Amino acid sequence: MKRYPAYDPIEYQDWSPDPEVMRSYRGLVAESEGIQRSLERLGPAGLERLQRGLLRNRLHDIALKRWVRTGVITKAWLGCGEEAATVGAVHALADGDVVGPMIRNAAATFERGVPLEESFRAYLATGDSVTKGRDLHFGDLAHGVVAPISHVGDLVPVLAGFALAFQLRGESNVAITWTGEGATRTGTVHEGLSLAAARRAPLIVVVQDNSVALGTVRSDRFRSALEGMAGGYGVPGIECDGNHVLDVHRAVREARELCVAGEGPVVVLARTFRLGGHATHDEAEARRLFDAELFAEWGKRDPIGCFEEFLKEEPHRIGGGAEEKLARWEEEVIAEVEAAAERSLASRQTAPPDPEAMLGDVFAGGSGS
Amino acid sequence: MPTDTAPAAEEISYVDAIHHALGDAMRADESVMLMGQDIAGHGGAFKITRGYLEEFGASRVRNTPIAESGTIGIASGAALLGLRPVIEMQFADFITCGFNQTVNVAAKMFFRTGHPVPLVIRFPAGGGVGAGAFHSQNNESWFTQVPGLKVVAPAFAGDAYRLLRAAIADPNPVMYFEHKFLYRREKAVVDRGAPTPTRIEGGSQVLREGEDVTIVSYGWMTHRALEAAERLAEEGISAEVIDLPVLVPLGMDGILESVRRTSRAIVVHEATITSGFGAELAARIAEEAMDSLDAPIRRICYPDSPPPFHKGLEARRIPSVEGIVEGARALAAW
Ligand SMILES: Cc1ncc(C[n+]2csc(CCOP(=O)(O)OP(=O)(O)O)c2C)c(N)n1
Ligand SMILES: [Mg+2]
Repeated sequence: MKRYPAYDPIEYQDWSPDPEVMRSYRGLVAESEGIQRSLERLGPAGLERLQRGLLRNRLHDIALKRWVRTGVITKAWLGCGEEAATVGAVHALADGDVVGPMIRNAAATFERGVPLEESFRAYLATGDSVTKGRDLHFGDLAHGVVAPISHVGDLVPVLAGFALAFQLRGESNVAITWTGEGATRTGTVHEGLSLAAARRAPLIVVVQDNSVALGTVRSDRFRSALEGMAGGYGVPGIECDGNHVLDVHRAVREARELCVAGEGPVVVLARTFRLGGHATHDEAEARRLFDAELFAEWGKRDPIGCFEEFLKEEPHRIGGGAEEKLARWEEEVIAEVEAAAERSLASRQTAPPDPEAMLGDVFAGGSGS
Repeated sequence: MPTDTAPAAEEISYVDAIHHALGDAMRADESVMLMGQDIAGHGGAFKITRGYLEEFGASRVRNTPIAESGTIGIASGAALLGLRPVIEMQFADFITCGFNQTVNVAAKMFFRTGHPVPLVIRFPAGGGVGAGAFHSQNNESWFTQVPGLKVVAPAFAGDAYRLLRAAIADPNPVMYFEHKFLYRREKAVVDRGAPTPTRIEGGSQVLREGEDVTIVSYGWMTHRALEAAERLAEEGISAEVIDLPVLVPLGMDGILESVRRTSRAIVVHEATITSGFGAELAARIAEEAMDSLDAPIRRICYPDSPPPFHKGLEARRIPSVEGIVEGARALAAW
């Protein structure tokens, strides 16, 4: 993809495929029957959706960074370097499934069909946004997207509730949510998983281990402890390479199959790396948390660069003409993201939130405050 | 407790007053320890504990997992054995995840068993910073209703310093509400060498004397009350402004004495109005000074609605200087 030196982490600025990394990327595809099945399921159209989704995610984040830089907003929480963990997961779902993204998984909203500008409008707090300017964290049940709260881990039991409802109604849908490795330590995640396990509810919890929680690096001991997490609840656990969009797809597809077969919940452990700060404000500081080599290592594994390179190496998977197709998709996604950003900025002018309406909206059913 | 190392009085910000109170308490008493998310290497979300890992070591400056309930429970246990843990909530809003340990374990331990729990929880609270529903709440009255918890909410850097030192020395669980909006905006000359109290005691302070109306507030809103009084003076209304840095234990004497003189009372706070601490203040004034009142007591507070993310909308709900002025005008004309 086109790189954005003003906004990209240095590792991405002159990104070119690393032969060693690509060898293992391809190796995983070749070795994994699960990925083979994912490839069959996805077909050329599915792979195109993955690529467009990854680009949308990255460009959405870059647009927000630009807004922070130009003072349009003060802060943004981004998924730079972790896009595959969101996009690969979401595209393994079926119609009617429900997602509960953390703010770092904002791409789950638009990859499930919420218009892209809703994420921008949420940041701009416009009156025509889903929350009418009331919250940055948004969802839209019409698209099966559950709004998170700031408190990390709290969506696990909520999504377990969706899973339970699917089960009780005999619907073969699943609910999925993500939690950072840090948030796995909350009581809420534990309680949510315990309940889901007791009912064998069709819930997928993706533990997105990006090696860090805010300003604290996770220890090696904790890194290994995450591997035993699923076992602690007596439920299946599936590990995947969180930077390999096909492997994430594979893991979530398998998790989904287990759930639908009544063997859920499933904990999917996706190892990845936060290539930015906790949010835009601490990017410089965040770089001091790890050795530069570690950034360099993970930088080589850019989930987008690697996937593009894979498609170029195996163009038959998208029906040939990879260079030209990738270029065209990218052009279209750039235009799409720009247009959405423009529309959202226009909303700020034309649709400021209504202060009066807001005060009366505390209760459903019209009983005012 | 004066220490050898404390510098001469100097002007410091509210946030630095908290930083220094922690450091000075750690230096003065080895049993004091800090716990919280990202407080060690990172220095905490607001950098309040910066430098302390290096100075005091990892056993006294402890990062915790994202586990508020566990953290408060561990702190209570350590406190029962005589340590003095000071916990930083990353934001006041996250206390919800540690509620039971706070209100049932820590708060009721002494009453039930006679064993004190000298523990401080710091709450970076309050709005005005455009941070939305989960990073802006003023949840002090969730705790003022629980016997066994002391609750403080300083408005000034000097009080922030003294009250934190007192909270750490106090043998009870103290909920220390520090207002984020004041962190870098409020400054005062603080003499860190002067003796600090060893208990949180109730009481209020008259910041500005007046004759026509008493305005009682705490935290950020005390500053707005002062501004309102300034404006009211221009209109010929003389407002007395009382700051209440300690909510529990509640010292009503100063407030009642003032209300008896002015015959009019306004209570201002940023927390939502229904069952907010202002309701308690209004009730006490009504119970004890009703016969001195010439007008109904007025509460000026946040409406019963969660803080919105949109900064402009949020600003419209936080009690404004203009709102306080209007309230005082209406009472003066009663
Ligand atoms: C219950 C709770 N406590 C504290 C916080 C403050 N906080 C926000 S994000 C964060 C770190 C989260 O780390 P992790 O779960 O690994 O997710 P990541 O940010 O790495 O995606 C913390 C401590 C919070 N949001 N919720
Ligand atoms: Mg993390």
